[in-house]
Amino acid sequence: MGKTMIRVSGLNKRFGDNHVLKDINFEVEQGDVIAIIGSSGSGKSTLLRCLIDLEKADGGTIMIEDKALVKDGVQAPPTEVRKIISRMGVVFQHFNLFPHLSVRKNLQLAPKIVNKENKAKIEAHTEKLLGEVGLESRIDAMPSTLSGGEKQRVAIARALMMNPDIMLFDEPTSALDPELTGEVLKVMSDLAKAKMTMIVVTHEMGFARSAANKILFMNDGIILEEGTPDDIFNHPKNQRTKDFLASITNKD
Amino acid sequence: MSPHVLSLLSSIMAGLGKTLSLFAISLIVSIPLGFLVTLMLRSKLKVVKGIAEVYVYILRGTPLLLQLFFVYFGLPFIPGIGKYMVFERFQAACIAFALNYAAYFAEIFRGGLLAIDDGQYEAAKVLGLTHFQTMWRVVLPQMIRVTLPAVSNETIVLVKDTALVTAIAVPEIMYYAKGAVVRDADPTAFIVAGAIYLVINFFITIIFKELEKKTDF
Repeated sequence: MGKTMIRVSGLNKRFGDNHVLKDINFEVEQGDVIAIIGSSGSGKSTLLRCLIDLEKADGGTIMIEDKALVKDGVQAPPTEVRKIISRMGVVFQHFNLFPHLSVRKNLQLAPKIVNKENKAKIEAHTEKLLGEVGLESRIDAMPSTLSGGEKQRVAIARALMMNPDIMLFDEPTSALDPELTGEVLKVMSDLAKAKMTMIVVTHEMGFARSAANKILFMNDGIILEEGTPDDIFNHPKNQRTKDFLASITNKD
Repeated sequence: MSPHVLSLLSSIMAGLGKTLSLFAISLIVSIPLGFLVTLMLRSKLKVVKGIAEVYVYILRGTPLLLQLFFVYFGLPFIPGIGKYMVFERFQAACIAFALNYAAYFAEIFRGGLLAIDDGQYEAAKVLGLTHFQTMWRVVLPQMIRVTLPAVSNETIVLVKDTALVTAIAVPEIMYYAKGAVVRDADPTAFIVAGAIYLVINFFITIIFKELEKKTDF
């Protein structure tokens, strides 16, 4: 622990008149598993997307492993951005597997054409990672033949193929049938146990409680409350946090 | 088959080569040209986008026959550059057809690109693919799959449209069929010509069905 992986300060983001992120500040240390929770529209997905340049920050600074993705509202040049975001893997709510490629080719496309790794190494890596997500038997399947849970596990393996230092998850189980969320959360918990630095935007309070070491509660574009799972779930200070947790648990 | 029909068939088949080469050249040129126009239609540069939009508007909005006449009879009259724009009949036909079909293909491909989810671009970006790699490895294969039925349709129309060039006396199937009908005062040659177009389109339909099966995912 100790090494700062991500440092966000004074981050602002607007969509037209809609001020989605208001002066966001937080830090991520190596090995941190951070769960970002909050109601929809609170800005949590936008925050995650700013970290990986899928949304452009309007103001503030985002440092990824001591390199500035955005400095005082100014974006790094495109080649620099590409280099910085290549250190992160992303898992999307809707998987975004390449539907025309088999599982194997989904995993191998980027290592092959971006990293230009050698074939034998890529092949071994593919088998290892598919094994870790429990899908070695589906290596030649097409994405359309997989269940949602399998698709998301393939998507996680695909992101890991690029050897990221940080993994970002944007509501990874929100598009899944409830009975399929477990298999995906298990893979994520395994990653957390292996000390992967992770930021997870999620509605899965069970996962946030058990796997995360830090919770950010977002409300209306700000981080309203942050702390350990025990702080947030057992001793929430803010009334909005209490209301949110009550509404979530009522749903369960 | 009666000897009369056989002799008609053999004389009309003399135009098969011209019909098929006009068809093939038009298709081979208009598909990449159409995709180029698609990219221009999506350009952030207003001038580039504007040129592409005007191109598509004019080429789709006027009759192909008029465009054919314009390329063959009209271009040489353009002051200054007209003397470099004198084409043989077959060349003029290829130019008019390629330009015209490129406009239709451009719109088909544009629709195909709209069908591709933003998530595909995002996934490619976070995996580090360049813009070109994303287009070539991720977007194009999916676009081809989506647009194949429409491209197949357009290709069949192209086969039939080649008959229009008989208007500038390119010696293709329709040209010989019309000649035979006028000569013999007997419409049988039209039926024979129609049968030849049907046979060509039969094969094209099969080829596209196979392509659809192959690109299915």
